[in-house]
Amino acid sequence: MLHQKKRGIDRTALAFIAPALILYLLFIIVPTVSSVYYSFTSWDGISPDIKFIGLANYKEIFTSARFGNALKNTIILTIFISILENVFALALAVLVDNVRWGKNFFRSAFYIPVLISGIVSGFIWKIMYNYNFGAINSILTQIGMGNFKQDWLGNTSLTLIMIGVVLVWKGAGYYMIIYLASLQSVSTDVIEAAEIDGASPWQRFRMITIPLISGAFTINFTLSLINGLKVFDQINVMTDGGPGFTSETLVYLLYKVGFTEGRQGFGTAVGIMLLFIIIILNTIQQKFLRSREVQL
Amino acid sequence: MRALKKPKAKDYLLLVVAIVLAIIFLYPVLFALMSAFKSNGDILKNPAGFPTSLYTQNFVDLFAMSDFSTAIINTVILTVVSELLIVCIVPLAAYAIERRKSRFTSFIYTFFLAGMMIPFHLYMFPLFKEMKTFGLFGNMLGPIVCYISGSVAFGTLLYCSFLNGIPLDIEEAAMIDGCSPFQTFWKVTFPLLGPCTGSMVILNGLNIWNDFLMPYLVLPSGRAKTITVEIASFVGQFTARWDIVFAGTIISIVPALIIFCMFQKYFVKGITAGAAKG
Repeated sequence: MLHQKKRGIDRTALAFIAPALILYLLFIIVPTVSSVYYSFTSWDGISPDIKFIGLANYKEIFTSARFGNALKNTIILTIFISILENVFALALAVLVDNVRWGKNFFRSAFYIPVLISGIVSGFIWKIMYNYNFGAINSILTQIGMGNFKQDWLGNTSLTLIMIGVVLVWKGAGYYMIIYLASLQSVSTDVIEAAEIDGASPWQRFRMITIPLISGAFTINFTLSLINGLKVFDQINVMTDGGPGFTSETLVYLLYKVGFTEGRQGFGTAVGIMLLFIIIILNTIQQKFLRSREVQL
Repeated sequence: MRALKKPKAKDYLLLVVAIVLAIIFLYPVLFALMSAFKSNGDILKNPAGFPTSLYTQNFVDLFAMSDFSTAIINTVILTVVSELLIVCIVPLAAYAIERRKSRFTSFIYTFFLAGMMIPFHLYMFPLFKEMKTFGLFGNMLGPIVCYISGSVAFGTLLYCSFLNGIPLDIEEAAMIDGCSPFQTFWKVTFPLLGPCTGSMVILNGLNIWNDFLMPYLVLPSGRAKTITVEIASFVGQFTARWDIVFAGTIISIVPALIIFCMFQKYFVKGITAGAAKG
């Protein structure tokens, strides 16, 4: 009865979907499509006079040093976060899966940073990184490693990495949950069979567990890349894109030119570039990583 | 069988590693918690140490020097109202997609899921312009409608994967007994989706509770907005009063911690179900 295919429009289905569809169209699709239009204009966000300027914004994107710098920062930050988040998340998942006592406690402990808002986590770490009054320098002095003291966020060669550390700390627990579910679904029979055949623990992990959790790896790597591209809150509260432009990423550039420099047309063009990057990453994920997954 | 074995050296080693990592992961949270109960002088003099006494003046100052109670009320309203409306709208759409399969509904499914790729930052400028025309800019309704539309993609994914595992028999029986599709959904299927609703409300509600950019830009300025927005503005405003900011961060973190401790399994279920299909 329920699966019967009807001719014409299924009015009931339409009625059920309509509220979600209308909101989704109005507040996501319409603004997304119109941002394509605005990216060809000199819109300043205030004046109703919106001029069509063709490809000028895109020409500026490909020639301006500021965009190049933001793109470079975004790539560094995103790759740093994605690799470390996945390394930590997998290590934590293996640890939680194998630890003999307190599994639940440890799983919660590693997940708790995920609960904290971007702004709050940024503030906490900003204070910990503080040169004179921060906990990190204070601990370094106490354990006799005072010469490692740093102006963690002010040292331009470290700024991006230090922001990345906050994001890895905050994000690893989320991906750990996904790895953990995947590890727990690997059947113990297979592992025990390999054990009987004389495979070492490392061989068992490398040859059986890793291929079987490749699905979790694909999804986690894609999610962490996309989330890395969208980082905003921590940069806002920790450095505001500085010192200079050292921590200005694409999203931050977009926000700054749009809201503080009154160039929303250019800002939306930067946003379109961001969407392109996300679509390319997704395609790579579908084509490349999915094909390497193993299923039992 | 394993539980009966005697603990080996390997077990102790793993435990030590786990404890060290847990300390590293929890330290920043403890740091915030401890700093909230220290005087400002104490935070500066002894940043890494424990508070000497339970100092609560920071919280008194926080509410005296800012309109933090309004921020709390606003955050609660945004989170609760959005989630209530999401629960009325999203599962209904997912039900139609999963149970009344047709070319139309499978197109809608793909169309909704594509929304997960679109970053909010891309369309925020045109969105705000549109909100101004609808009179949604500068009041609470604006963020609420955006939170609902923003939850459609993930919510549909989650509900569809849960609906997959719910047998059709009960629904068919209800239909034969004369229930309309609408009644069948709300009276028969929806109650069975409890765990899914729990997962979605918790994961999504946490995002709203912690959101910054939307309330920061959309809610009227000159008044307190939400908890995170207030904290972000304190960072610039009270540069010399970290004690007050820390008191604010605790108010932001503690409700999330309590919800997490009470409903842990919903977090795990929601994350893994979302990942399995994404």
